[in-house]
Amino acid sequence: MTLLLQTLIFGCLIGGVYALMSSGFTLIFGVMDVINLAQGCLLITGAYLSWWMWQRTGLDPLLLGVLSSAALYGIGWLLYKGVVARVQRVDPGLTLVATFAVAVAGEGVIALVFGTSDRSATPSYFNTSFHLGSLSVPKAQLYACIGALVVLGGLYALLRGTFLGRAIRACASSRGGAELVGIDVERAMAQMFALGAATTGFGGAALSVLYQFLPDSQDIWIGRVLCVVVLGGLGSLPGALAGAVVLGLGEALTSTYWDVRWTTAVPYMLILAILLLRPQGLFGITLRREGARA
Amino acid sequence: MTARNRRLLRRGAPALGVLLLALVPLTGDIYYQNMLIMTFVLAVLASGWNTMAGYTGYVSLGHSAFIGIGAYTAGVASAHWGVSPFLVAPLGGVAAALVALLLSVVTRRTRGPAFVIVTFALLELLGLTVRNWTSVTGGSKGLLMPLPTWGVDIQDWPFYYTLLGLLVLAVALAAGIARTKLGIGLVAIRDDEDKAAGIGISTPAYKSLAFMASAVLVGVAGAVYGYYVSFLDPGAMFDIVLSVEAVLAALMGGRGTVWGPVLGAFILEPLSEVTNSHLGGSDAGALRLVFFGGLLLAVTLLLPRGILPQAAEWLRRRRTRGATSPVGRRLADAELPATPVMRPRAQTEDTALLRLTGVSRRFGGLVAVDDCGFEVTRGSITALIGPNGSGKTTVFNLVDGTYPVTAGRIDFDGRRIDQLGPTRRTFAGIGRTYQLPRLFPSLTVLQNVAAACGEFRPGNLLRSAVSGAEAARATELLEFVGLGDYLTARATDLSYGQRKLVELAQVLMLEPQLILLDEPCAGINPTLIRRMAALIQALNRAGQTFLIVEHDMNFVLSLSDPVVVLSRGTVIAHGAPDDISADEQVREAYLGADFALDAATAGGTA
Amino acid sequence: MIEMHSVVAGYGGGDVLQGLDLSVRPGTITCIVGPNGAGKSTVLRAISGQIHPREGEIRLAGSAIHGHSPAAVISAGIVQVPQHNGLFADLTVRDNMLLGGYLIRRDKARLRRRIAELEEVFPIVRERADEKAANLSGGQRRIVEFARALVLEPRMVLLDEPTLGLDPKASALVFDSTRMMRDLGTTVLMVEQNVRFGLRLASHGVVMERGRVLLADSSEALLARPDMAAMFFGSSAPPADPAEPEPGTGTGPGTDPQREDAHL
Repeated sequence: MTLLLQTLIFGCLIGGVYALMSSGFTLIFGVMDVINLAQGCLLITGAYLSWWMWQRTGLDPLLLGVLSSAALYGIGWLLYKGVVARVQRVDPGLTLVATFAVAVAGEGVIALVFGTSDRSATPSYFNTSFHLGSLSVPKAQLYACIGALVVLGGLYALLRGTFLGRAIRACASSRGGAELVGIDVERAMAQMFALGAATTGFGGAALSVLYQFLPDSQDIWIGRVLCVVVLGGLGSLPGALAGAVVLGLGEALTSTYWDVRWTTAVPYMLILAILLLRPQGLFGITLRREGARA
Repeated sequence: MTARNRRLLRRGAPALGVLLLALVPLTGDIYYQNMLIMTFVLAVLASGWNTMAGYTGYVSLGHSAFIGIGAYTAGVASAHWGVSPFLVAPLGGVAAALVALLLSVVTRRTRGPAFVIVTFALLELLGLTVRNWTSVTGGSKGLLMPLPTWGVDIQDWPFYYTLLGLLVLAVALAAGIARTKLGIGLVAIRDDEDKAAGIGISTPAYKSLAFMASAVLVGVAGAVYGYYVSFLDPGAMFDIVLSVEAVLAALMGGRGTVWGPVLGAFILEPLSEVTNSHLGGSDAGALRLVFFGGLLLAVTLLLPRGILPQAAEWLRRRRTRGATSPVGRRLADAELPATPVMRPRAQTEDTALLRLTGVSRRFGGLVAVDDCGFEVTRGSITALIGPNGSGKTTVFNLVDGTYPVTAGRIDFDGRRIDQLGPTRRTFAGIGRTYQLPRLFPSLTVLQNVAAACGEFRPGNLLRSAVSGAEAARATELLEFVGLGDYLTARATDLSYGQRKLVELAQVLMLEPQLILLDEPCAGINPTLIRRMAALIQALNRAGQTFLIVEHDMNFVLSLSDPVVVLSRGTVIAHGAPDDISADEQVREAYLGADFALDAATAGGTA
Repeated sequence: MIEMHSVVAGYGGGDVLQGLDLSVRPGTITCIVGPNGAGKSTVLRAISGQIHPREGEIRLAGSAIHGHSPAAVISAGIVQVPQHNGLFADLTVRDNMLLGGYLIRRDKARLRRRIAELEEVFPIVRERADEKAANLSGGQRRIVEFARALVLEPRMVLLDEPTLGLDPKASALVFDSTRMMRDLGTTVLMVEQNVRFGLRLASHGVVMERGRVLLADSSEALLARPDMAAMFFGSSAPPADPAEPEPGTGTGPGTDPQREDAHL
């Protein structure tokens, strides 16, 4: 019973972090219908940036996430202006190939800059826990999860309560309509893409504390992100949160009760199962929006 | 260049290429032999990828998984039975095709993004499974293949010639598919999947076949490749970089073409060898990633169509410079050719071919069609008219299955059809055209017509669409509508009115019992309007039933009987043209209903 | 207010407007009517900057606005209410209203004041503020769209078939609301397929056919013409002298002017 509870706590904490890591992908797909396969690469970039600054300054890597996310905001902007917007003009079907290319090249660049050995940030609370009776709550996971929820809450508030957020949602609802109220659609899209990358920067900071990572870890991470959004229904932020918790629990239960070696396979098994059996996602949000044409 | 020379070149060049490649091993140069072996593997992989992603438009990013599936299937089988991996290599192809069949289920209900994700997940999952399933696959330690049994002096010839043979087969398969109804159906799916479903292309079956075809030879090649490298390890066999190379090769050479992926592979693999030998040291792997990723990015940004299509376009422009484009030419007001004979259908007793009873359709709060009911009598030209927004096109969309009905029933030819999907309704005998003609832009006029299928017969899929009975029929129909001179033109090069005629021919190819025409006259010139009317009348005399939505009142009143008038989604009048044009209520509907005004003035503020 | 001079414009496929001349006087409601495909909606799109004329000019109170982006046209004082899906369906009514003031988003006080004023005029904006636009009925959506169009205090509002798909009661609401807009000092240029409704609402009417203006007059004068029905019952009629309706267009001469008058 304790083991089960312990596993569930662990799964939920990780789920919160996964949700943060997937939020950028979800946002970009929901608004633009673009599958950003560079998401894993952006995440790893955020992790390396936080780790590097932590090494240099000794400050808390999670707090350094603010700086990583600022850097990724810029990278996201460049990625949109330099690649995504251009490819969309030529052939929208190729955006996923282009972002995939960015992911592959990006992995190479990271390896050239940071080398190919295992990294992870180990602040003072690394590997320590709070204890509640016989249960333990690892501090790093807890802080990361709280940080993730704060950032997600901030993103949600930004989308709901600011003009930038309203403009982004308006573009998602109807581009033509957005133009007619005077929104510069191209600019709103670029800001949205950059914003998605910036939240991923926070995700990277969390990753740097919770996991060891290599340049090619991006493969595993894009797999997890895809799993989260497939579970939650592509393009839905609340769906992504729920999907993330399901994945976190699935991985935790697998490593506790089955075999830790199969944990990394959980995201892919879930993806295949969901897409074969229930493509609309666990929570019934459809992959395709049905346009009502009268 | 004359046509004969061109044909000679088209047949001769590949034969010469294969002959030259066959001679390479005789030089005894092991370096080039190995480089070509790798090139063949990549070319087979890229060619397979192209069948699904290039023809059908479903991009896969995990296609190298089929290499691994083939290699491990043959490897495990050969270890199990103690036979040469060559003997069991076909099993690798079978396994790959079966996995493809299973995964194609994903494409039944979803489009683009889901397929990309599922192929990527497949690649990663198989890699992990092979790594973890140590008892069978040897895990990360790998699986050692038996040593070749032949003498050292013939080097790697068996691998070389087998893979060359597979490449020839792969190209033949790709070329073969491109010529069949299956192949042009796949391109139709890529261009406009909903429209494809509406002209009788059974999209799930087509997509499954395409995915299997794209996997099977890759599986066999994987088996041979695994034997060649003599050692199977999960990292190399389920390698995402190999997928990247395949995508890159196909994109660079030209996706959707037969030779593009092969050309791409022959450019890319030597390039990769060169960079390999020049990039030494600890950073080699990273530099390769930057190189391939950067090259792929450059190709998508700068050469998104690929080398071959770009070159073909350039040649075409040079050749047609000075010649008049078909668009500029006017159609002559010529005599109509003989009306094509339509397949006789067994008829039921019912005189009403189509019957709508209490049909409604809501979009959120908007009621587009409201308790609508009317009949289309066999052999009639029934017109459906009404002001803008009265729900005419929605009625078409309900009849052909684009939208499900919210309430009510639709009967066609004595059976209820409102639960059937669009393709099933096409097979039942309903064909329709669109307000804005929806032709497949990548196909020629002839292919656009030949792609249509009036019924599903598996054997039909492999029939040629460029020659033989299907093409002959399509040609006959195009001649009938007056476009016999435009068979090889691209659909996009035609004028708007000509496209409407092609769409009519496309629908006739289905040999439907009922043809729905959505505004056949909108936006076309008076000559074409007369031609359209003459065609409709000729077909009608031959027994063809029509339901026509049209705004042009002269056209409607001179051609059709009876006329059904819709307003606000409901039938407000039904009768002979003369009665309709004299009907006060109809005029009200067109000019503005006074009851709205009465309500407004009753509102007080005005 | 607005002057269009020999405007040629269209979409990819060809020119829909073929040398169109049109002028709208300030403070009026002007209604464009005409058969389907005459180019009525295209006129509005050309003014609002969604398509750019190939030839000709469009002037707002003397200064040229053709070739401007939609945002620039809005800044100049022209707001369009499109035919379909003008509201952002997934957003609340309040968010939709706020987006109506997107261009003055930095001037929070003015934006708040404008929305409060409009809530007085169109109470539904306040009553359903927290509801998603998708949950509103067709007529309610129209009213919110009108209110939203007025947030910026535009000089002119373009309405594209405001009664399309609405029932008589909702149409009546649109009728009242449009008059209200004019009474608030906004010039209205509208397209309406419901001819009598449109001309009854408007003070001026413009009859279009095949991308040109056939007739422009006061709406009473247009409504009184016995040949109006004919113009609509034969969209294939060439742009001939409108006094001579094409013979053989089913109805035409049969229309009884007396009966028409009875309804005015």
